[in-house]
Amino acid sequence: MRILTCIKQVPDPESRPMINQEKTWAEYGEYTSYWINRYDEHAVEEALRIREMIPGTTVDIVSIGPERIKSAIRRCLEMGADRGFHLFIDSEDYLSPSIKSRLIAEFCHDMKYDLILTGVMSEDMMSGQTGPMLAARLGIPSATSVMKLSVNGLEGSIQVERELDSGHRCSMDLTLPALVGVQSGINRPRYPSLSNVMRAKNTEIIQIRLENSLLKVVSCETVEKIQEAGSDRAGIRLAGTTAEKAAVLWRMLREKSLL
Amino acid sequence: MSHSIMIMCEQSEGRILAVTDELIACATQIADHYDSRLTAVLPGLITEPCSISGADLLVINSPGLAQYTCEGWEKAALLATEQIKPKIIIIAHTSTGYDYAPRLAALLEGCCLTSVSGIEITGDSISYRRSGFHGKLDLLYGVGKAPLVITVLPGAFPAPDWQAEPGITRIIDADIKPKLTSHVQFSIPDQSNTELDHAEVIVAAGKGIGQAENLLMIRDMASCFKRSAIAGSRVACDNGWIEYNAQVGLTGKKVSPLLYVACGISGSAQHISGMKDSKTVVSINRDPEAAIFRYSDICIVEDLEKFIPAFLQEAKKHQS
Repeated sequence: MRILTCIKQVPDPESRPMINQEKTWAEYGEYTSYWINRYDEHAVEEALRIREMIPGTTVDIVSIGPERIKSAIRRCLEMGADRGFHLFIDSEDYLSPSIKSRLIAEFCHDMKYDLILTGVMSEDMMSGQTGPMLAARLGIPSATSVMKLSVNGLEGSIQVERELDSGHRCSMDLTLPALVGVQSGINRPRYPSLSNVMRAKNTEIIQIRLENSLLKVVSCETVEKIQEAGSDRAGIRLAGTTAEKAAVLWRMLREKSLL
Repeated sequence: MSHSIMIMCEQSEGRILAVTDELIACATQIADHYDSRLTAVLPGLITEPCSISGADLLVINSPGLAQYTCEGWEKAALLATEQIKPKIIIIAHTSTGYDYAPRLAALLEGCCLTSVSGIEITGDSISYRRSGFHGKLDLLYGVGKAPLVITVLPGAFPAPDWQAEPGITRIIDADIKPKLTSHVQFSIPDQSNTELDHAEVIVAAGKGIGQAENLLMIRDMASCFKRSAIAGSRVACDNGWIEYNAQVGLTGKKVSPLLYVACGISGSAQHISGMKDSKTVVSINRDPEAAIFRYSDICIVEDLEKFIPAFLQEAKKHQS
């Protein structure tokens, strides 16, 4: 079985995005830490679990972005993935899921993947579009928010269980090839073993250069304006030492008769 | 020139769900600007006559649409677009909506924006608002190629409290069969957690609690209040710190206690939609930019491991 897992590298959620001068995008400072999108890490883990169950399975990783994303692809190799593909683009600008899904669809063209795994969404932008769009472009079925996945090898299908609103579930069989967007509760991602870390050191990440002009061909949505998010409530920020804040909170809750 | 907006109804067993009115409210805002015609599309196995207020209704009726499948809904929506030729397609950001909306946009060679929370109209153009960068920033998007598919966050566009006239209903009997999807089965796991429904105070733990041991602290804090319960964010549940039946958010429970104390919760849109109706919200987070603070009445930028013991100390002082 040939599995592809699509990953994205995201900035530390506690780092501060700085709005650019034109107010059309935001950038992160040079000391920002980046790591694999949490949902995608679950997708990688799921791919590796399938490989453990079905001999002869290969797990490829693909990601789009600038030089920095190499470390995320490397991490997947350390977890145990076989090959890493870096669709290189020298830009930190907004890249529409429409374009990303086109680029990955093109990459998939001759690869004959049986199963494509993605996280259900990215932690930072939370669009959840790239996976389903990729499946549509490849003409294959997809399921999002998947909490359980098993492969029916003989029948050329998978069984998935989706998480619906309010915790309801829905299970179904999908004919392969198919794409699955995994939800975070599906598994516990492993830590890389020392032997895999050593092996990954000697595995080259295959870089495919994308021309920036290629990205302008499709007319998509654009970010026109970006601003600090507005507040729903007029929140008060407590000041002082930790003990002083605790005392103020206690008093405020007392005044509201909550204590 | 006529401009059409298509709204995909949310339905359960053939009945239109209330969130559809919110989609119509969103569509009406756009329609007021473009002078558009609104058509709601209801895919399903529809046995009873139906209509919808504020829009015409196009029923795509097929035995193969008796229950939701991504494939079935995609085919029904494509069939409807041939009839309606919409510039904008509005879908609810629910587990069904976000499952097929991006696919639809890709197949129509259009654009897609998910979890839209607002619309801004300036002069001749419309921008769509959604949050990004871990919920810290608001982004306004302009659209490129039509059609535009948007999924709208439940609760973002309140349904009008007056009923508009129902439009005309038209039924297309189609033969839509999912070919690549089979053995579809719905289930409701035992999610009963009445404690959470009846609690007046909920103390919720997020990723920021860091380790299971810190749950003790959360419990101690909860026990300072009468009729209290503990809950968790998605991450807290994924880490096994909190049971899934105590998860607050879009995929978990929707709660509205008198007091909601968010401990180390960053405040993703998914979590916010589960707790934003709480009467008072207190948030404790060491990240001063955390999105949760925008939905809080009392904001405390502190490390939980320092702050909660200080609060417990304070409580003890008043008890004695």
